[in-house]
Amino acid sequence: MSRSTSRRVGGQGLWVWPPVAFVLVLVVVPLVYIALFSVGLRSNIPGTKTAFDLSNWKDFLFGENNPFRALFWHSLLITVLVSVAVTIAAYPLAYFLSFVAKKNRYTLLLLVLAPFFTSFLLRVIAWQIILNENGVVNSFLWWAHLRPQGDSVTWLIYSNFSVALVLFYSWIPFVALPMFVVMENMDRRLLEAAEDLGASRLTAFLKVTLPLSIPGIIAGFVFVLIPTTGEFITPLLVGGPESQLFGNQIQSFFSDSPDWNYGSVLAMTLILLVLILMVIFGRFLSADLRRPSTEGA
Amino acid sequence: MTDLNINRRQFLGGTLGLAAGAGALAACGSPDAGGGTSTSPSAAASTSRPPIASEPGKMSLLEWAGYEAAGTKAQTAGMTVAGADYIKKYGPDSVTYTYIENDDQALQKATASGGFDVMHPCFENYQDYVDRGLVQPWDLNLIPSAADIDPGLLAKGTTDGKTYMLPWDWGYGSLTYRTDHVDAADATGWELAWNPKYAGRVSLWGGASTNFEIAAIKNGIQDMDHLTPDQLETCKQDLIKQKPLNKFYWDSEYGQMQPAIKSGTVWIAYSWQDTLVSMKSAGVPVAYLDPSQGRIAWFCGFMLGKDTQNYYHAHEYVESFLNKAACAQMTNAYAYGTSNSKVTSADITDKTLAESLHIDNLAALTGPTVHLQSYNPERAKVLAAWQQVKAS
Repeated sequence: MSRSTSRRVGGQGLWVWPPVAFVLVLVVVPLVYIALFSVGLRSNIPGTKTAFDLSNWKDFLFGENNPFRALFWHSLLITVLVSVAVTIAAYPLAYFLSFVAKKNRYTLLLLVLAPFFTSFLLRVIAWQIILNENGVVNSFLWWAHLRPQGDSVTWLIYSNFSVALVLFYSWIPFVALPMFVVMENMDRRLLEAAEDLGASRLTAFLKVTLPLSIPGIIAGFVFVLIPTTGEFITPLLVGGPESQLFGNQIQSFFSDSPDWNYGSVLAMTLILLVLILMVIFGRFLSADLRRPSTEGA
Repeated sequence: MTDLNINRRQFLGGTLGLAAGAGALAACGSPDAGGGTSTSPSAAASTSRPPIASEPGKMSLLEWAGYEAAGTKAQTAGMTVAGADYIKKYGPDSVTYTYIENDDQALQKATASGGFDVMHPCFENYQDYVDRGLVQPWDLNLIPSAADIDPGLLAKGTTDGKTYMLPWDWGYGSLTYRTDHVDAADATGWELAWNPKYAGRVSLWGGASTNFEIAAIKNGIQDMDHLTPDQLETCKQDLIKQKPLNKFYWDSEYGQMQPAIKSGTVWIAYSWQDTLVSMKSAGVPVAYLDPSQGRIAWFCGFMLGKDTQNYYHAHEYVESFLNKAACAQMTNAYAYGTSNSKVTSADITDKTLAESLHIDNLAALTGPTVHLQSYNPERAKVLAAWQQVKAS
């Protein structure tokens, strides 16, 4: 290694430490703290004797008819369904922006992203106004005489529907973005070659565009799957008692009816799940995204 | 030159080392290592304190929305007397509020964050605050209006001759219902919240303990705060059965529950009697259920933070709430009773309401037709059961 290279590399090493320290202090240390709670080595109630205890873990993992475990699977199902739906819906959007919009595609992309420059909380509250029993949708139905005045569609809000809808809305642009980037980097000559070889537009799409955009699809799917796994704001604001997710249960354990020990078991479970998902999909993405987009076609 | 690049092994080693250090720190700093630490009254009394001029003066309060001191930006409910003297003297920025959404959460906030100078919990958690060492006794000599507090109530806030809670407000918990949507024949008891006819139109409170008390009263259990395991299970199953009927469990009285009743989204909601007053003044047709099994009753009061640096400020602050004028206005504004025995029927403007709610008669608080919320030694079991209800 040359002297100048050594100095440059050494300097880079120095710059690594602030973010590493940031992660250690704000991520690793709290995680250790939560882990200690989950095995009974800490308690949020003064006067409680602490000792290593796995009973909360045993109860959560193996307890008969454990409602929290059932909620975990239910939430995971909702999350996967929403992620799949969002991914499917975002694909045509990304396709349109990349292949159809042409010159205006960046302007349109900005328009798609524009609402997301405002607070997430405000956007969810805006949905409350839209979906409420006296909200925009019901008022329109009354105005259009599609329903008798005052007779509202009650399932529009505080239901599984409203939770799924708002999650769907919230994540579409974030899912479309990686797909759009992958499509933009696609070698268009391959499509021309496919057409020259007699492939119909549908065949070219199925055999060229779709396979080449798979890294973007996976990235988009992961972008929505991982954050929504721990989602709690949306169900809190637009969900009813029957549509709360695992994240709400964790929040409840830490605030409303505090049992930080059991709540930590739930939190650790969620963290482990996210780590597993990141490992699985991280390998996928590192394998696919590093590859030039012309390969594998 | 030292090569500062780190490989994965070094990084992992450092991370684990730091994590282990964090674990050790966490274990060392455990507040529970030495068991319970109630404040020793004698120790509190003998502590020499700096004069009020040497105190920081910026007070942190754990309070219910609507009870903010007059003159602060936070006070929007029209209370112009309570706290006014204090704010005039020390300015609107001298107090910061953290809000209570329910009693269980308030205890959690007081325990986890600490540092509150004054807290306003309710009697049911009085013992928890004392046992956890979160509070210290008041010096009644510094609060002239303390002499006006009903002696019976004051005694409930006193342990070993030391007064930890200065009762201020009292009232009921029951169901407010829309008379234009709910049949009068259905509005007879707590079972109204379980009536499938009103599915999706009910909203119980997010307060865990209160919901178990409601279920207990509904099921004819007399001692709602001392449930046997079987009774706890009965109440839990009953609340699981009731859960789908709720539009939502409300957390914010003014931000969630009252607007929902007003708009007609919710027809039946657990509430205190101030909702009746608010809704009636807004022209909403409502009634406050007088259940055949009896209403819930409660009283709340001011408690002094154990580690407050604003000892004398805190005493002045509560005096500005406990004086007769402040108590009378609170009663007129919210239709709650007051602990100040100087407030009489003559001070209450809405005589009809006063009569219907007996807010001019403190004896109503402990009468045979109400269930006063009190200390539950098995609260942790109730809270755990509530979590199961929410997850079910």
